[in-house]
Amino acid sequence: MWWMALRLALLSLSRNKLRASLTMLGILIGVAAVVAMTAIGEGAKESIEKQMTAVGVNLIWVWPGASASSGVRGDANRTAAVTEDDARAIGREITSVLAVAPTLGVSAQVVYGARNAATRITGTTLDYLTARDWSVSRGRSFTEADLRMAAKVCLIGETVRASLFGRADPVGETVRIGKLPCQVVGVLAPKGQGSFGQDYDDTVLMPITSVRARLRGSSGREVDQIMVSVRTPAQVRRAQAQLTSLMRQRHRLQDSEENDFSVRNLQEMMETFERTRSTLSTLLLSIAAIALLVGGIGVMNIMLVSVTERTREIGIRLAVGARSGDILAQFLVEAVTLSAFGGVAGLALGVGAGAALGKAMDWNVTFQPLAALVALGTSSGIGVVFGFFPARRAASLDPITALRHE
Amino acid sequence: MQGPVIEMRGIEKSYLAGDVVFRALKGVSLTIAQGEFVAIGGPSGSGKSTLMNVIGCLDRPQSGTYLLAGHDVSNLDADARAFVRNRLLGFVFQGFNLLARTSALENVELPLAYRGVASKERRARAARALQLVGLGTKLENTPNQLSGGQQQRVAIARALVTEPRVLLADEPTGNLDTATTEEILALMQGLHREHGLTIVMVTHEPDVAACAGRQITVRDGLIAADVAIAQPRRANVDPPGGH
Ligand SMILES: Nc1ncnc2c1ncn2[C@@H]1O[C@H](COP(=O)(O)OP(=O)(O)OP(=O)(O)O)[C@@H](O)[C@H]1O
Ligand SMILES: [Mg+2]
Repeated sequence: MWWMALRLALLSLSRNKLRASLTMLGILIGVAAVVAMTAIGEGAKESIEKQMTAVGVNLIWVWPGASASSGVRGDANRTAAVTEDDARAIGREITSVLAVAPTLGVSAQVVYGARNAATRITGTTLDYLTARDWSVSRGRSFTEADLRMAAKVCLIGETVRASLFGRADPVGETVRIGKLPCQVVGVLAPKGQGSFGQDYDDTVLMPITSVRARLRGSSGREVDQIMVSVRTPAQVRRAQAQLTSLMRQRHRLQDSEENDFSVRNLQEMMETFERTRSTLSTLLLSIAAIALLVGGIGVMNIMLVSVTERTREIGIRLAVGARSGDILAQFLVEAVTLSAFGGVAGLALGVGAGAALGKAMDWNVTFQPLAALVALGTSSGIGVVFGFFPARRAASLDPITALRHE
Repeated sequence: MQGPVIEMRGIEKSYLAGDVVFRALKGVSLTIAQGEFVAIGGPSGSGKSTLMNVIGCLDRPQSGTYLLAGHDVSNLDADARAFVRNRLLGFVFQGFNLLARTSALENVELPLAYRGVASKERRARAARALQLVGLGTKLENTPNQLSGGQQQRVAIARALVTEPRVLLADEPTGNLDTATTEEILALMQGLHREHGLTIVMVTHEPDVAACAGRQITVRDGLIAADVAIAQPRRANVDPPGGH
């Protein structure tokens, strides 16, 4: 009975290809949305997790200016500098802190002989490598003495090394950073790519004093950012609270005043990202649900039309001995086949769209076999649910009435 | 003549038209023996089709008993009636009632498909039935590639493919011209004579009715006359259909 019903369903759908395709559209879009969304969602999640472990989960950043997320941004005059002294105080007063690295950056052209590379120069302290869990693969790091004397020394990242030196040994060579001749004392171990495409190795590190005095030409104590690393991930929250109150104290803020600096940790950033992602997912899911509902109603509608059009055919089938169950099966299977085709097409479209979007956004796209199964199950289920009513109407026709139809 | 294949006692059937009950059959009693060729006539609206639908188990009477080949079929539910139609009866309609865009062969296979006969055997039996009605060369033609007479032959083949106990035909020649009518009548007479097929046929036309062995007249939902025809007219197959 089911085999015959399937044959009849395929025959009937092939006789009305255009109509069938249009009817499938809603389900197709719904399923495609679900598939693409779950794939991208998973991909984004994986990216974040990779990012988190690459950068380090124990990090807290402090930078000047009220945070945007606390609502309106603070007034310009309430933006106090974050200084090297703040960094020092954090290292001194908060016990769970492992390393504190103030940073000061400039973008500059680095020249060696005929080659040059545009990169980011980060001025920092010895703690930076500890905070970022980074090491020097060749040569040495800079020393306390280098820091004190604002020495013209630098560490270069792997990408910079490769583009300036190729196979040659860079250690001991002198490069020009902007107009400043600077000796390469070491090469940083390769760290690879961040998951949003940034290249961690495209960097040059210098003593913060050198950047301030020789590249920025300033004499203050202010920094762009302080990077704080805490001993264990579990201590991050507490350390951040302590750090915030310490900073407020140092900046002499009244209880009524907002922070004039911002503090963030990676976990928090992850959570924010995750919240955005899940909001997006919910939105997409609702769109998918609506598309599927509309698709289901479309299937029901077209099946009702089909039953009416084919009333006489139903009468003939009943007259020669079809039972109501045979007729029910015929129309139910037709509805399910119709929506399952929509599901398969939607799956293909979803995979294609997901992959294309993933490529465009440089995200990892992970397709889950389960999502595909759910998509097909859902579309078939829609066929059953929305096909049942028309099929039952067909099955309950009286043979004489059906034969007289038209 | 053998025993009765159709035995009806006091069959009543009424319809509700608006809030008026219309009694289409007012207690029909009728016995038809195995191997008879019966024509049912009568004025329009007298209840001929209603009677045929009851005989054909397409419809259920409100009261009375109906024994078909010895089984009481007067009170069966829809699925049981479908079973009886499939196993014991073959129906031919005025309007042919073939599936459009479907080959003659597949049309004839249809009752066997609902019986669960395997496709190979189905095709063989359908082809044989089509040969029997003289359409052995038109197996793959769809209804719109066949003449009216040929379509009615396909319908007869479809009715016969299940080897029914009774062939029921409601105005089978109503849509056909005179020559084609004679062809169809000749076919039915042949089936009756050579295969001993029991046939019940509704017709308006005295010429057509004259080909049967017995004539029943229905008037106002009752049987008004029931006469045997000693000498049925032989259908005139003078211009053979060209098949
Ligand atoms: N479904 C129905 N609802 C109401 N009345 C009906 C229905 N079917 C038939 N009738 C009535 O029953 C009566 C008998 O109808 P039937 O079709 O049996 O007539 P008939 O003898 O076959 O006529 P004809 O020669 O015109 O085909 C008619 O008066 C008709 O109006
Ligand atoms: Mg009639």
